[in-house]
Amino acid sequence: MRGSDWLDRLGIGALIGVALFSLALLLLPAVIVVIMSFDTRGYISFPPAGFTFDWYARLFNQPVLMGAMWTSIKVGVYVTVLCIALGVPTALACARGDFRGAAGLSVFVLLPHMVPGIVLGVAVLFAGALFGIGPSIWLQSISLAVYVMAVMVRTVMARLQKLDPLLEQAASNLGATRWQSFRTITLPLLMPAILAGAVFTFIEGFDNLSVTIFTHGYRDRPLPVELLTIVQNTNSPLVAAVSSVQILLAILALLAISATIGLDRVND
Amino acid sequence: MTATALPRRLLDEVLSGRGIWPAVPAVVVLTVVAVIPFCILLSLGFSDITVSRGVIVSQTFSLRHLATALSDPLYQITFQRSLTLALSTTALCVLLGFPVAYLFLIGNAWMRRIILVLTIAPILTSGIVRTYSWIVILGGRGVVNSLLIDLGVISAPLRIINTQWAVIIGMVQVHLPIMILPLIAVMSRHDRRLDEASANLGASRLGTLRHVILPLSIGGLGTGAALVFTLSYTTFVVPQLLGGGNYLNAATMIYEQIVYSLEWSKGAVTALLLMLSCLSVLAVITWLTNLGTRWTRASQR
Repeated sequence: MRGSDWLDRLGIGALIGVALFSLALLLLPAVIVVIMSFDTRGYISFPPAGFTFDWYARLFNQPVLMGAMWTSIKVGVYVTVLCIALGVPTALACARGDFRGAAGLSVFVLLPHMVPGIVLGVAVLFAGALFGIGPSIWLQSISLAVYVMAVMVRTVMARLQKLDPLLEQAASNLGATRWQSFRTITLPLLMPAILAGAVFTFIEGFDNLSVTIFTHGYRDRPLPVELLTIVQNTNSPLVAAVSSVQILLAILALLAISATIGLDRVND
Repeated sequence: MTATALPRRLLDEVLSGRGIWPAVPAVVVLTVVAVIPFCILLSLGFSDITVSRGVIVSQTFSLRHLATALSDPLYQITFQRSLTLALSTTALCVLLGFPVAYLFLIGNAWMRRIILVLTIAPILTSGIVRTYSWIVILGGRGVVNSLLIDLGVISAPLRIINTQWAVIIGMVQVHLPIMILPLIAVMSRHDRRLDEASANLGASRLGTLRHVILPLSIGGLGTGAALVFTLSYTTFVVPQLLGGGNYLNAATMIYEQIVYSLEWSKGAVTALLLMLSCLSVLAVITWLTNLGTRWTRASQR
């Protein structure tokens, strides 16, 4: 009995050891990049030789990078607006619909997210070329919206399924019209899910590369495309500074999610 | 019916969500931007096309590109490499991810919070940024080489970046959160009274892990594995940045065919093969997941 107890402790210890290793693996690369972004030398070399904010100052004086960032922010907003406008009503139909093929509808809507992004990007590029529509910020935005709409639909649907239908019934019993009960009861209750979905769709619009690289406009190159080029061609802490800004953005998004639906609900 | 009644009724219909109406705009957009383009991609895989100034001007039926691709040894090597890379990435993510989920299960509220933050934050960060951090770590003057030289283990920097080792390390780290997230979802629904019952019946913690927790996590493992495989099989960021351009996988191949050499028909064929092979592996993963669930149910009887 004592032998197996010893084995048990060893096994669980090893498991926790691997878990801690994995967590360190997730955290450390980001920390190192942030540290390197303050280095005084003009090339990446560990450990850093000094401390400076110089790269951040230079970052904001790079018109190309700033332009790309602005383009990506716009794409993120367009994608989010499209996903809310198209996705929220779809979630309503998927969760409450009692028409024939209601189950098929949710599968259909979730399908584009299952297709590899690169395949969707190539397909949209070719379809555009066939009808004479070239790549542009609009083509990029609508493709990305189609790609990530599933996230919005899923988040809102999960929330809808947990809503008590009696709330809306009570409203209509008290004489509220459908619009009134939707506006004053359903929509406020759905808001956290919509906001959380919006965070994810914005991030996808801002960061996505697989769809973006085939559909973006040549004049307004978005940040991921610009970053890919810069990372491949330069070795200065400037890239570390851009990366640190993106990490900061992710932390802000994280705070937004934990304030809206809570971190532990991300999966639902 | 008065003039104001019709819009009001339409609005009611839409808001009730009982009919298909609210979903119609989305269905139209999805059809135009996903279904039709996909059919066009399919047709281009079986065509000879002429492209002029980014517009397809002629298209005739041909099996030439498909036949070339299927007999080309470069295709075979590339797809084999992508498949090996993605499958090893998936396996390593399972091995590294499951212990984190276990720690989440047994951990207190603080540990759970830390795990959630460390898992979700990377998902919200760009893949390029996360891959770039490995250039900083594994590069010639990177963290690993500097530490090894300072410790006197090596005298000259090792060449780690631009090798397949760099690619696999990057792949695993970039996709690990996608593996952990579905597992955490399973763990947060896990009823800990089952573990107590198992312990009361005399099982060790490892025994409980093997006979209670693991069988109940198979669904999460399947979901995670499917997601990690799809993403790592079809990414070109990691191989492009950490493989130094010499490490061609199927996705980088598509990118080069379409963006650099403008061979669109070839690119269409490669994209179709990528998708078909991806779906086949996903079918196998789903089958294995179902088999695993059924097997554990049977053994518990």
